[in-house]
Amino acid sequence: MAALVVFSSPLLRLRALLQRCWGRLERGLLPGFSGPQSLPWGPALAVQAPAFLPELVEDTSQSNEVPSFLDSILWMAAPKKRRTIEVNRCRRRNPSKLIKVKRNIDVCPECGHLKQKHVLCGYCYAKVKAETRQIRLEMHKKEGGPFNAPTVETVVLYDGEQPTEKDEGKRIIERARKRPSWFIQN
Amino acid sequence: RLLASGSVFPLSCIHTSTPLEKLGKWEKKNRIVYPPQLPGEPRRPAEIYHCRREIKYSKDKMWYLAKLIKGMSIDQALAQLEFNDKKGAKVIKEVLLEAQEMAVRNHNVEFKSNLYIAESLTGRGQYVKQIRYHGKGMFGIMKIVRCHYFVKLVEGPPPPPEPLKTGFDQAKEYVQQLRNRTITHTL
Repeated sequence: MAALVVFSSPLLRLRALLQRCWGRLERGLLPGFSGPQSLPWGPALAVQAPAFLPELVEDTSQSNEVPSFLDSILWMAAPKKRRTIEVNRCRRRNPSKLIKVKRNIDVCPECGHLKQKHVLCGYCYAKVKAETRQIRLEMHKKEGGPFNAPTVETVVLYDGEQPTEKDEGKRIIERARKRPSWFIQN
Repeated sequence: RLLASGSVFPLSCIHTSTPLEKLGKWEKKNRIVYPPQLPGEPRRPAEIYHCRREIKYSKDKMWYLAKLIKGMSIDQALAQLEFNDKKGAKVIKEVLLEAQEMAVRNHNVEFKSNLYIAESLTGRGQYVKQIRYHGKGMFGIMKIVRCHYFVKLVEGPPPPPEPLKTGFDQAKEYVQQLRNRTITHTL
């Protein structure tokens, strides 16, 4: 399983890195704790007077190493304990997370379907959209190609309607059906 | 409906009810038949159980919609679901309309608006695990989550909502519980 092998080696690298970081920390922290006392290892015990020298040497050697970015892993936020199902339920079922009941729903007077007060009725809009699409198809057929829109106005006439004197110079689009009740003729 | 196996005609021995899928408990609840009511008893309101299985949605997300419509009349529930943007709202709306249709056709409900939602629950469906590939050769295990939705419609107007419990009521209950304590095996 190639995926598993590759997955474990970053883990090993991480563990090695953590061990190195922890070692560095121990060496860095212990001088801080012992302070004026002598260090537990080697030359500091034998000679009391220059007890500061090994510390200084240690410190300078410490300060040469710049703490790398990956050291900050040990100070990352992590959950301490598993969140119980009771706590989880309190959070998930809090009234702020529940869906609010909408009070702005009315009945459309035209078609009788439901609509929101500040929004157009979905059914009526779909109806008008379908009819508009048919009219535009007729217009495309008349124009024949792109960029052929005329400079004059357009008038839509349904079955059994004749153009009036007002529609003199306008482009006429014929639709082969009865005029819908919502499309008022001027 | 299951045919009696001891039928007379040899041709009608074909089992008309083949178990296509194993019926769940919720589907079987529609089959209970009560004995006829006595003349003096109040009318038992009709109960209609309906469900939809293996909906491609999360049961936790579906639960919010189920909680929204619990206790509402069916018209109000349909109105709320129509203007809700969640994916589960469309599914629940279909389920409610199916249940309403079933109620009028099979369960002798007179007015299709005279129904309210007594119970609405969600359940966990069958999950499928898949691998989701991340960068650097890492992978995660993805769960394809499905849920069931159950609804029980009851005939009649919706019951009035219960008044919220005040702190005073809770305190009274607590004191009453303390007073009800007895020491066993004594005078």
